[in-house]
Amino acid sequence: MASTEGILRAGVRVAPRRGLPPWLLIAPTLLLLTVFFVVPYVNMVRMSLLVKPAIGAYEPEFTLANYARALLDPFHWRVMYRTFSLAGVTTALTLVVAYPVAYHLTYAPRRRQRWLLMLLISPLLVSLVVRGFAWMILLGRVGLVNLTVQRLTGHELVLIGTPAAIVIGLVHVYVPFMALAIAGALQNIPPELIQAARSLGASPWAAFRRVVWPLSLPGVQAGTLLVFVLAVSSYVIPILLGASNVLVMPMLIVQTLLDAFNWPLGSALSMVFFGLTAGVVAVYLRLLARGMPWTRA
Amino acid sequence: MTRRGTWLAILVTAVYVFLIAPMAIVVLAALNAGDYLAFPPQGLSLRWFIRAAHTEPFVRSFLFSLKLAAWVTVASTLLGTAAALYVVRHSARFRNLLRLAILAPLQLPAILTGIALLIFFLATGIGTRGMRALFIGHTLVSLPYVFLTVSAVLAGFDRSLEEAARSLGAGPFTTFRRVTLPLIKGGVISGALFAFITSFDQFPVSLLLVSVGNTTLPIQLFDYLRFSFDPAAAAVSTVSVLMSVAIVLIVDRLVGLQAVSWGAQ
Repeated sequence: MASTEGILRAGVRVAPRRGLPPWLLIAPTLLLLTVFFVVPYVNMVRMSLLVKPAIGAYEPEFTLANYARALLDPFHWRVMYRTFSLAGVTTALTLVVAYPVAYHLTYAPRRRQRWLLMLLISPLLVSLVVRGFAWMILLGRVGLVNLTVQRLTGHELVLIGTPAAIVIGLVHVYVPFMALAIAGALQNIPPELIQAARSLGASPWAAFRRVVWPLSLPGVQAGTLLVFVLAVSSYVIPILLGASNVLVMPMLIVQTLLDAFNWPLGSALSMVFFGLTAGVVAVYLRLLARGMPWTRA
Repeated sequence: MTRRGTWLAILVTAVYVFLIAPMAIVVLAALNAGDYLAFPPQGLSLRWFIRAAHTEPFVRSFLFSLKLAAWVTVASTLLGTAAALYVVRHSARFRNLLRLAILAPLQLPAILTGIALLIFFLATGIGTRGMRALFIGHTLVSLPYVFLTVSAVLAGFDRSLEEAARSLGAGPFTTFRRVTLPLIKGGVISGALFAFITSFDQFPVSLLLVSVGNTTLPIQLFDYLRFSFDPAAAAVSTVSVLMSVAIVLIVDRLVGLQAVSWGAQ
């Protein structure tokens, strides 16, 4: 290699390649991922198929009983349904709230864009526990929201412990993710396209609906997917804002593992939950692809 | 400015208020001089910060989190930068597959990763005592951020600069140290900062992997909030708020927030 390069550059001396093989750069990361990511997940699949004895964690004996228990208990389905509907509502609301933000951000002057990004990204970096706590202060009995509502209407509005509080907390957490995903897609729309639409007589609204919105759909897809998957598996916000009244799947799985100390059943529940999430995502992608045929390569 | 523009501005301002207000509330609550978390605050004081600084579990878990995040930052910065260099420059056929694999810990629910790791550590006898288990779990979810920011700066990298150094007689290591590294420094430092905050604020992975005497600050705060609800918790939370603001300002200075927000796409 070095010699051909040398010949091609005629006269320029190229230091001989005495470096180490480049795959050494990726080797440690792949090792880490294999040993501490792939193997643990595979191990969890195996665990979901093992027998749970009366005493002890598991026995190396295969069974489908855990899956039967995970799938046949109507209680699990109720929790599952609650988890998915909370995540669905959260995703839809987040989209509605984040789209205008993304649009505004994309077409803001560059200097202002910096400030807007700071406002958008700094909450993203604040600990989830802290954000949950902030909403506990706002939505509790002595919180700002209740006090204001009480003063104005005389009625109480204590949201803590209700699904509504969880949705508010989750939307707050995921708006920056969604806005950044959509802004990423809006960035890629050439301004000439919008100008062309306008100069051909389209109203600003028509230009948005016919040009900007369809071209931003890949960002909408990326954002909604990300938010849905994160929301389905959220744990801190539901536990803090639901005040243990609203049970969602991640809480149920953690309880099964840590409190009931049932690893096989906990693993089976994780797998079922994981499979359902993947299924919902697949259906959603299928539906969305029908809505934007131009993305099919 | 059209009327539509004005409506958009009002709407967007409302969303930013929604995003920022809770953080401001936490800071205000921490400065409250009264005995309870109540609004409006009864005067300003630092008494709850002093209280938090004298609460042993908070101090211990804060120091533990700092130490853990420091180690995680070192490991994920080294691994993530090397991985980005390989994927951007040396991979051809497997580029997308490698990207997918490295980003997988961000795509899968962190709580499931925590569960899988817990079972794995307990079943193999490695255990979750000390910092090891947390260190590994945090590195898995922090490394992708370094990978993303470094990939973003490498994508706009002019390789003829390296070729120039090489043709002038510099070896591969000298070229890397004197040419490549200074040019990708912003991406590396930004990635390191994101890795740090990811570890420092980490919840779902930590929840499963903490052990007695080795508790991180977010878990400690979470446990505290389940039984008490006072301004000391707000004082502790303020640390997280200030840290995130500091990191946003530094990253903006170094590479610009635009670059990390959608530069990688």
